[in-house]
Formats: sequence, C-alpha cells, structure tokens
Amino acid sequence: MDIVTLAEVAGNLNVVGYGLAAIGPGVGLGILIGKTIESTARQPELGGRLQTLMFLGLAFVEVLALLGFALAFVLK
Amino acid sequence: MELFLPKSYDIVWSLIILVIVAAFFYKFFLPKFQAIFDERAAKIEGGIAKAEQAQKDANEAKEKYEAQLSNARVEAAKIRDDARAEASHIIADARSRAETEAAQVTANAQRSIESQQQQALVSLKGEVGVIATALAGKILGAKLQDGDVQSSMIDSLINDLDKDKAE
Amino acid sequence: MIDAVHSLTLAGATQPEYPSVDDFLPDPFVFANTPFAINRIILVRIIATIIMLLVLGITAKKAKLIPGRWQGAVEWLIEFVRDSIVYQVMGEERGRRYVPMITTVFCTLLVFNLCGIIPGMNIAASATITLPLVFAMWCFFQYWIAGIREKGLGHFLRDELFPKGVPWPIYILLSPIQLLELLIIRPFSLTIRLFANMVSGHLILALCLSATQFFLIDVENKLLAPYGVVTFAAGMFMFLFEALVACLQAYIFAILTTAYINMSYPEAD
Repeated sequence: MDIVTLAEVAGNLNVVGYGLAAIGPGVGLGILIGKTIESTARQPELGGRLQTLMFLGLAFVEVLALLGFALAFVLK
Repeated sequence: MELFLPKSYDIVWSLIILVIVAAFFYKFFLPKFQAIFDERAAKIEGGIAKAEQAQKDANEAKEKYEAQLSNARVEAAKIRDDARAEASHIIADARSRAETEAAQVTANAQRSIESQQQQALVSLKGEVGVIATALAGKILGAKLQDGDVQSSMIDSLINDLDKDKAE
Repeated sequence: MIDAVHSLTLAGATQPEYPSVDDFLPDPFVFANTPFAINRIILVRIIATIIMLLVLGITAKKAKLIPGRWQGAVEWLIEFVRDSIVYQVMGEERGRRYVPMITTVFCTLLVFNLCGIIPGMNIAASATITLPLVFAMWCFFQYWIAGIREKGLGHFLRDELFPKGVPWPIYILLSPIQLLELLIIRPFSLTIRLFANMVSGHLILALCLSATQFFLIDVENKLLAPYGVVTFAAGMFMFLFEALVACLQAYIFAILTTAYINMSYPEAD
C-alpha cells in the first residue's frame, strides 16, 4: 500500500456543507432576535410592529440556511 | 433530489384538501363563529344599554326625590317661620291685652283712690270745721252761738287754707 | 460511539434502525400510478383533515352564546389568529378580507404539523414538499392579486422593484434581487422552511426513539442500557420541542403570509 491513511473521515460531505451553511444564519438569527428583544424592551408599545419586522427579516435570514438544507439533499 | 420534486398525486391530494378545508373555513366555520361573536357583542351592548337606562332612571328618581325633599324642607321652614310669627303675634297680643288690663286696673284703682281721697277730704273738711268751731267756741265762749256767723267764718277759713295751698 | 457499539455488540442487531429520507417518500399503496395514488403521508393527511373538519364542524354546529370550555378554547384560537396575526399586521380595515384565509392556513398547518408527534401517525401531514408549496402558492397569488388590485400592475412592480430612497446605481443590483424575491424566494422560502422543519424534526425524533429501542431492547449486551435511558430522555425532549416547532411554524407561516400580502398594499399608515 503506497498511500498510508492517517485519519479517515467517513460520511456524507453534504452534511458538513449544511453545517457550514447554518453558521451564518445562526449568527444572523441571534443578532436579529436579540436586537428585537432589545428594542421591544426600550419601546414596548412598538412590540407588535417590531415582531412583524423581525419575522420578515427572519424570512430573509433563513433563506440561506434553507438553501443549504435543500442543496444538501439535492446534490447527492 | 426526489424529496424536493412534487409528485402529481401529491399535488392532486394537496389541492383537494386545501379546497375542502378552505371551503369549510370560508363558508361554514368562520361565519358561524362570527355570527356568535356579533350576537354576543349585541347582547353585551344591549346589557350595557339596559344598565345605562337603569342608571338614568335611578338618577331621575333621585333627582325627583331630592327636589321633593328640598320642597319639603322649604315648606317646613315656612311653616316654622309662620308658627314663630304667629307665636310672637300671640305673645304680643297677650302682652298688649295684659298691659291694657293692667292700665285699666291701675286707672280704676287711681280713680277709687281719688274718690276716697275726695270723700276723706270732704268728711275731713266737715270734721275739721266742727272741731275748729268747737275749739274756737271754747276759746271765745258763747259769742259764736249764731249759726250763720259760724258757717261763714268756717268757709272763709277754709278758703284761706286753700289759697295757701295753691300758693 | 457507533464503533464502540459495533465492537461491543457481537450478535443480534448491530445497529439501530436509522430513519432516513425515504420515510418521506413512501410508496403508494392504493391507486398507484394514477393521479389519485395514496401513500402513507397522504393517508395521514386525509385522516387529519377529516378529524379536524369533524371536530371543528361539531364545535361550530353546537356553538352556543355562552361558551363551554372547549368552545372557549376554539374561540380563543380564532381570536388569536384574527387579532394577534391579521389585525396586528394589517390593521382591522384591510385585514378583514384575509381573516378566513389566514385562519385556514394557520389551523390546517397547525393540525398537520402536530400529526408528526401524534402516536400512530408519527409523520407530519405537511412533510412533503407539495402541501407547503400549495399553501405558499395560495399566498403568492393573493399578494399578486392584492398588489394589482390596489395599485395596478405597473405601479405595483415599480414600488417593489425600485424602492424609493435608494440611489439609482443600486437599482442595477437591487431590482433583479427584488424580482427574484417577488417571484421565487417568497413562496419557496415559505415552502422549504416548513418542509425542512418537519423533515428534520421527524428525523431527530425518530433517531432518538430508534436508538432507545435498540439500546434498551434489541441489543444483547445490557451494559448499553444507560445509553438507552439517555436517548429516551432526549426523545422526550425532542417530542416536546417538536410540539413547540409545530405551533411555531404554523404561526410563522401565517404571519409571513399576512406580512407578504400587506406589503402589496400602498403604505397608508
């Protein structure tokens, strides 16, 4: 055997890809939701509007993670 | 890959279910509950209106009662004033009557006193004359036996006395 | 850990029955190869629909002016959707037209999502790409129709593709993205968000439970039983978490649908 295998990584690389794709949206969601909580604490009377805006932003942020999820399954 | 490709029968069943569910919610479920919500709101509003009416009635009754009360109070005050006036009237009457009576009594008493004085004066006058005559007769002796002289002398004496008194 | 398990279990089942993506692609068992083929997920979906319609229908039929406990709960749900989702996002005047739609979306998706954790069904009725896609297309048509009705097609597109207050060179970048957003990203993100949540929820829950089954019962080396206790506890947790996710995803789907439709209206307030 010419090639000596020092360490072997087994499994599906797509899952690793999805894990990487989830990092950004994870950070983004944390910032988004944290800021919404912060703003609601400052101005509780705007809570409803802020919540709606948060969900709209969440839709944008999550698209990235969802693309990662979909591609992990699609590109077999 | 297959996971993200819709299958034809899946689409058919999803659409059928969506249409059924939507029809159920649009045509039956929500109108039914909307009707119930409306009815309840109407009931509650009716209840509120009724309560308001009752409140208004109570207020009116209270106002009426208060008006009556104040009327009664005014009347009572008037009656009391009248009574007081009458009482003072009565007292004044009684007083004036008593005063006149007292005055009459006093006047009567004065008059009787005056008449008695007069009588006493007259009788005194007679007696004084007799006594004086007797005294003078005793002093002068029998010189003054004549009646005419006697009485004329007494008269002039008394007149002198009166004159002295007047002066 | 899997290697350790391999070395420790010499006989019998050597591996838990891992759940796979094939759970979501079951073979049809009636009317195969026709447009009306029914597989396991579709059966679950039909049963869930029938149960939901029966329960809510009987509730509505028997609804009284003074609500009982169950009717109170149903009324709370209706008022939650109406006040906290539709009226809060759109305002009462605009929202009235969309209350039935959002109620349909929310209640249906809630029931379908909860099927994923009901024993016996064990798979969410919304766990194929098609069902979320159908609901998302409904939303898609509604916001296009609303935009065209309220502003006219040209005006609607101008507002969406060239938002005000942006320097013009940015439009070169922004307008294609906005067009993509309007045509593809909105419906597909709605679809895939719900679908992905259902798929991953089912996979994790099934993984925990099949591992429990393997470690507690199938495996011959009973020293591994403590692993089973741990995975069972994890399964319990995931069960509750899935219940939360089911409600949350129905809520997010409903509120995003409302928000997308609202964005087609002119900025009045």
